[in-house]
This record gives sequence, structure tokens and C-alpha cells, in this order.
Amino acid sequence: MTSLPTIPIQAYLLVSVLLFAIGLLAVFVRRNAIGVLLGIELMLNAANINFVAFWRYGGAARMEGQVFTVVVITVAAAEAAIALAIILNVYRRFKTANVDQINLMKG
Amino acid sequence: MAQLQSGSFWGPLAFVCLAIGVLLPAVLVALSRNILHAALWLLPCLVSVAGLFLLLGAEMLAAIQILVYCGGIVVLILFAIMLTQDVGHGDVRVLNQQLLWGLIGAAALAGVLLHLLSREAWPVAARPQLGDVTGRLADALLSPYVLAFEVSSVVLLVAMIGAIVIARAEPE
Amino acid sequence: MLGGFELYLIPGLPLLACLLIAALALRPGRERIAPALVIAALAGSLVLSVQALARAAGHKPLSMSLPWLSVGGLTFDASALVDNLSGVMLVVVALVSLLVQIYSIGYMRGEIGYGRYFAYMALFSGSMLGLVISDNIVQTYIFWELVGICSYLLIGFWYRRPAAAAAAKKAFVVTRFGDLGFLTAVLILSFQGGGIFGFQQLEHMVKAGVLSSGVVTAVALLLFSGAVGKSAQFPLHIWLPDAMEGPTPVSALIHAATMVAAGVYLVARTYFFFAAAPSALFVVALIGLLTQFFAATMGVAENDIKRVLAYSTISQLGWMMLALGAGGYTAGVFHLTTHAFFKALLFLTAGSVIHAVHTNNMWQMGGLGRRMPITALTCLVGALALAGIFPLSGFWSKDEILTSVWSSPLPGHQIFFLVAMIGAVLTAFYMFRLWFLTFSGAPRSAEAGAAHESPWVMTGPLVVFAALAIAAGALKARVPWTSFGFGELVRFGEGREVVSFAVIGLSLGASLLGIAVAWAAYRAKVISPAAFNARFPAIYRLLKNAWYFNLLWELFATRVVIAGSRLAAWFDRHIVNGMVDGVGWLSGWAGRRLRVTETGQMQFYALVFIIGVIACLVVVFGREQSLVSLVVPRP
Repeated sequence: MTSLPTIPIQAYLLVSVLLFAIGLLAVFVRRNAIGVLLGIELMLNAANINFVAFWRYGGAARMEGQVFTVVVITVAAAEAAIALAIILNVYRRFKTANVDQINLMKG
Repeated sequence: MAQLQSGSFWGPLAFVCLAIGVLLPAVLVALSRNILHAALWLLPCLVSVAGLFLLLGAEMLAAIQILVYCGGIVVLILFAIMLTQDVGHGDVRVLNQQLLWGLIGAAALAGVLLHLLSREAWPVAARPQLGDVTGRLADALLSPYVLAFEVSSVVLLVAMIGAIVIARAEPE
Repeated sequence: MLGGFELYLIPGLPLLACLLIAALALRPGRERIAPALVIAALAGSLVLSVQALARAAGHKPLSMSLPWLSVGGLTFDASALVDNLSGVMLVVVALVSLLVQIYSIGYMRGEIGYGRYFAYMALFSGSMLGLVISDNIVQTYIFWELVGICSYLLIGFWYRRPAAAAAAKKAFVVTRFGDLGFLTAVLILSFQGGGIFGFQQLEHMVKAGVLSSGVVTAVALLLFSGAVGKSAQFPLHIWLPDAMEGPTPVSALIHAATMVAAGVYLVARTYFFFAAAPSALFVVALIGLLTQFFAATMGVAENDIKRVLAYSTISQLGWMMLALGAGGYTAGVFHLTTHAFFKALLFLTAGSVIHAVHTNNMWQMGGLGRRMPITALTCLVGALALAGIFPLSGFWSKDEILTSVWSSPLPGHQIFFLVAMIGAVLTAFYMFRLWFLTFSGAPRSAEAGAAHESPWVMTGPLVVFAALAIAAGALKARVPWTSFGFGELVRFGEGREVVSFAVIGLSLGASLLGIAVAWAAYRAKVISPAAFNARFPAIYRLLKNAWYFNLLWELFATRVVIAGSRLAAWFDRHIVNGMVDGVGWLSGWAGRRLRVTETGQMQFYALVFIIGVIACLVVVFGREQSLVSLVVPRP
């Protein structure tokens, strides 16, 4: 594969940062717990883009970038499963999935 | 795919399309009124991310992304949405009271990060080694990083068991 | 051998006896072995003391020391020293204690707490002997406090009587004032003197001028304040008359012969401090003079036989302090010795009388001379000794005191002499007033008419004491078991031997004058005391109320001390508690204010978290810090 001299790495970093910020926003403002989880998935993907970009623009000789990405995807899957199980449990207990209505830790 | 790589027009074009394909659905994921729609908008976003992986030369990762993320996680989320449908207590707001400060916070972080990242002189390699990427990934996963590999599998096992236990219905 | 463990037995035997009594002899059926234990122990102590005196007097002192406690850079020893002074005192204390215990067998027969009495007496004897034999000032202080406790326990022996309990408490509290001074002196010495407490080493330090004169004077005055408390000197004398609530043998032993003499002994032991601080010596002499005068005047107006003797003791202790202050070291200690014998005698005769007549009031006695001949005769001997009539022991010691005052280097010593003379007249007067009222004339009550002599276990010690009171003057020439006279053994530096026939004459004349006036007023009924009181009511009231000292102290306690206490209590309640409460209140207030951040909303926490992250980024990477250089190692 030839290099891509025309796309600077900063382009990918820009995408990554913006995606991260959008995911962060979703985490901040979504009332539904699953909405928060969606935001987290966006942030994870932003990180993955970052990893792969640096892998490629760092010479693609060392595979750590991709290895990290694989692990991140794996862990994201595991985490999504657990998070959803918890949300199910919370839904059963509080009859709602809105996180701002679950404030037993208040005070 | 190789043709897409060469030439100084198609590459950037592909990139811009994919970038929009990532960011626009992402915004919809974040702000959609309907939670089901929000989850569905995640699909084009993730597929576009897989596209970016392809553009960067990581085919295996693109495949994994589609299989695991789009095929697994999004489906899982859809199931959960269906199981936790809000009965509607009269309060139909989708977004909470933190909208303003959330925007400010996210924008601030984005701003700081962009500033930091842009002023860096990244040591970009002139000639990337794009030979047998998948093969090299396999080699990396099965020696030097075999421990991470194995531990990840244990993590998945534990997560599976954990999810089953947590989501179990209360024993009567 | 230069002293060994037997020195520790001298105080140790009576203390052991106390423990044995406490373990074995307090049950009602077994109480009779208690006096046997005490007497055996004291006999042993007496023998050992005599042995020690014989070996030490005029030669090198016997000493024994064991390290006891080492803390904070200071070491304290359990040490014993028998030199001329302590050797003589040990024998006196042991002898008087022994005789009083024998007397107590008769006096306390049938009393509840018979065993407890002897346990306390044994404890006291052991403590007093320990005090005398101590070689360092801290140990002396420890035993000082011990005898104070024993005094409290014994004055309040009949603790169910409110008057006795109050008297015990008063004794303890008043002497506490003095003990505070003593302790302060010890503290000053431990700071200024580098932790040296042994008497011999302290003497070297003072003589070498290691301590500044201010420190020496302060220490001397503070030690004297302890003596003022223990020896019931003005103004801390108020406890001794009330202490007569205790059994009479207690008064004889503790409040006449031994414990109250501890103050005089302390001054004698630490005399090198006083010798180096002339102003302190003057204070000692002045207090002694005032005490002996005022107490004599108070004794004149008392109707309780024991209280007369109590005031007499206070007055006589004043004589001893006067002697010490005037430079008459030998005279003071000699009087201590003779006074121990004749005052114990007088108290025991009073006890004999009280035992027979069941009252302390002299106006309900009378005519007992015929009915209790031994008691009357021995009491007469004691009275003559106290009044200082030749050739009884009191004459010799009193004369020596007067001589030393007359030839003293004290400023104004002539006035001291004059006042002392007046005191001598009063002394003889009140003593023979007591004797005439008690033993001569006609009985003034039914009990007096029915009185009979006490059993031999009580009169025996009386006779022995009377013999001692007569013969103790001979000590001047030769102290038994030694080859020296008293004046050669007990002296500070080079003693002065002054003989002044003028002083002897004046002294005898004063005593005879006092006796004559007493005879005229109470035997021959020529002068009428009632008429005198009617003509001078103010004087009568003043003397009857003991110059209102008790009232003054009471006012001090209630006004000054309690006012100070109220202030301290207010401070504690509002300021100290306020600070502690304030900390609590502050925590609560801060908590309430900070509670706003605990919204329970997870997304709020996430927002705060990100703000923190942004701040960290800005701080770390603000100044041209490169991201890459953090990660990529430099080539």
C-alpha cells in the first residue's frame, strides 16, 4: 500500500476529537441510561480511530496500535453487556431508565 | 480498494465522506428524540468508522468492527431498548437540565485537545510498511501480546457470566 | 561495714507489721495480735536504731543506697543515711512510738477498729522512720506525704463523727498548702540543680556556690513553707487544735512528738540552704517567734485539756523554729528531743484523765490528784519540764534556745528575746492553769468524784516518759551508746557554747512568775479569772476565738479561692468547650455547604470530572509541553 501524503494525520485526529466530544455530550445530556451508553460507545470509537491513525502514520511497522484496538473492541463488547444488564436491573427496580430520576446517592 | 488509495483526489474525497458519515449520525445518536432512532443511527456511524479503518489500511480491524460493533453491540442495545421501554410518566423530555453546561464542557474539551494536537509536530513516517498487515497482527496477538489476548477472552467470559447473573429475574 | 540492708529494716519493720495486721488481724476475733505485731516491729526498729546510732555517732555516717527509678534523665534512689542528726532522731522516734503503742493497748481496749488503729499506727511509725532516715529530698517528700496520710487516717479514726471527719479533712487540706511549697522547692532543685537530690551532694553544691543566691533563698523559703504546714506554724496552725478529735495516743505520738517535728527536722536537715540565705533564716525566726507568742495566748483561754496541749505544741514548735532561725541549730534540735518526751508525757496523762472522767472539759474535772496519783505526779513532772524548771530536761533546752536568741546575729534579736520571755511566762501560766484545774481543788462533777487510776499498761509508759523528761537534760553531757555530748553530735559547722547566767536567771524567773500567777488564780483563788474577763472582754473574746484565724482562712477559701474557681469554670465551659464545640459546629456548617455537590446525579459528576481533566491538560501542557516527547523516548 502506498502512503497517503494528501491526508494529514491531523485530519484523522480532528475527526477523532469531534467524535469524542459528541459522545461526551451524549453522556452529559441524555436522560435515558441507554442513551448514555450510546455516548460511551461513540467515545470508544473515537479512541479506536486515534489508535489506528497513529498506527498507520507511525510507519505501520509496529502492530501495537491495532492490538490495542482489538482489545478495546473486546472490552467494549464486554462492558456493553454488563452495562445493559445493570440497566435492566435498574429498570426493574425503579420502573424507569432515566438516570436523573435515580438519585439515591443524593446528599 | 488499492485504487482508492492512490491519487490525490479519491483519497481525500473518501475521507471527507467517511468523516461526515461518522460525525453526522453521531450527532443524531446524541440528540435524537426517540431512543430507538438514536440506537439505529449508531449503525451508519460505526460502519463509517470501519470505512476509516479500511482507508487507513487495517482491513482486519474493519472486519472486526463491523462484526462485533455493528453486528453484536448494536443488536444488544436494541434488545435492551425494547426491554426497558419507558411507560411514560408524563415527563417526555429526552435531554436533562445539563444541556448548556454539557455543551460548554464538551466544546471546551474539544477545543483544548484540538489546540494541543494541532501544534504538535507529529513524526510521521515517510514510508509505511503495508505488507501482510493481517498476518503481522496475528503474529502480534499470538506472541508478544498473547497475554492480552488470553486475558481479553477471560474478560469476555466473566462479562458474560456477570451479565447473566445481574440481569437475572429475582428468584421468587 | 558501712551500713547495709538493716538500715532499710528500721522503717521496713513497722511497714511490714502494718501489712501483716491488714492481712491477718482485722477480723473481730483476731484483733488482739495487732498490737503485738506493732510492738515487736518497733522494738526491732529501736534496737537497730540504737545500733546504728552507736556506730555512726561521731564517726562516718552509715549509708545505703539502691537505685529505684530512672526516668527522663533523672535518677531517684532509695537511700538511707544515718548520721549524727538522723541517728538521734531515729532513736527518739522509735522510743516514743514504742511507748505510745504500749499505752494504746490500754487506751483503745474495747474500741471498734482496734486492729485498724494499730495498722495505721504501724504505717505511721514506718513512714516517720523512713522520713528521718531518707538520704535524698525526693524520698523525704514521699514519706512526708505518707505521714500526712496517716495523720488524716488517724485524726479521722472515729470517722462516723462529723467533727472528726471534718478535722481530718482540714488537717490534710491545710498541710497541703505547705506541701505545695515543698514540692515547688523540689521542682526548682530538679531544674536548677541538675537532678541532684542527695542531701550530702546538695550541701556541697550550696557551699560551692553552684546555685545562685536567689535560687537558694527561694528553695529555703519554700522548704520552710512545707515545714510551716506540717509543724503547724502561723499561719497554717489552724489544723492542729482540731486534730485533737483523734484518739489521745494519736495526739501524743503524731501531733506532739513526731510528725509535727518533721517540719523542724526538715529545716535542720536542709539547714545548709538556710545558712546560705540569711533572709530566709530571719523569716524562720520571725514566724517561730510569732507562732510561739500567739499560740501561747490562745492556750491561755482554752477549756479543753487537749486543745490547751495542742496550742502548747504549736507554741513549742515555734520555739524550735525561733532557735533554728536565730542560729541555734543545736538548741532547736535539742528542744525537739526533750519536747518529744515531755509533750508525749503530757498528752498521755491527759488521755489517762479523759479515760477516767469521760470528758475533755477541765471545768468538769478537779481533785483528781488524790484519785489518780500516778497520773497527777507524772503530769506535774511534764508541766515542770515544759515550764523549764531546773533540773528537768525542758530547762536545759529552753535555756539554750534563749541563750542562742540572745547572742544571735539576727537583726533585732533583743526584741525577739523580749517577746520570747513573755511567751515563757505565758507557757508556764497556761500549763499550771491546766494542772491546777485538773488535779487540785475539789471535784466539779460526778465523774471526777468517781474517777480512779488507769491500769498499769497505761501508767507504765507514763512513768517511763516522766523519767525521760527528768533525765533528758543529761543528754547535753553524754548521749547514750555514744561517746559524745548532744552539742558535739548535733551541730552545724562549729557550734557555739555560750553560757549566760543572766539568761538562766531571767528564764527561771519568767517560769516561776507564770506558775505563781496560775497558782494565785486557780489554786489559791486569790485572783479571779472571771473578773479579769469581765474587765477586758475584748481580750477575752480575741483569745477565745484564737485571734479569729479560722475565720480569716474561711473567708479566704470562700471569697478568693471560690471566686477564682468560678472564673476558671467559666473559662472552661465557654472558651475551652467553646473551641471544641466550635470545631464540631464548623464541620457541620462546612458539610451543609458542601452538600450541594452531592446531587446524586451521575451526569453532574461526569461533568465535574471532565472539567477537572481540562484543567489538568491546561496545567500540564500549557507551556509548550510536547505530547510526543512524553511518549517517544529521546534518541
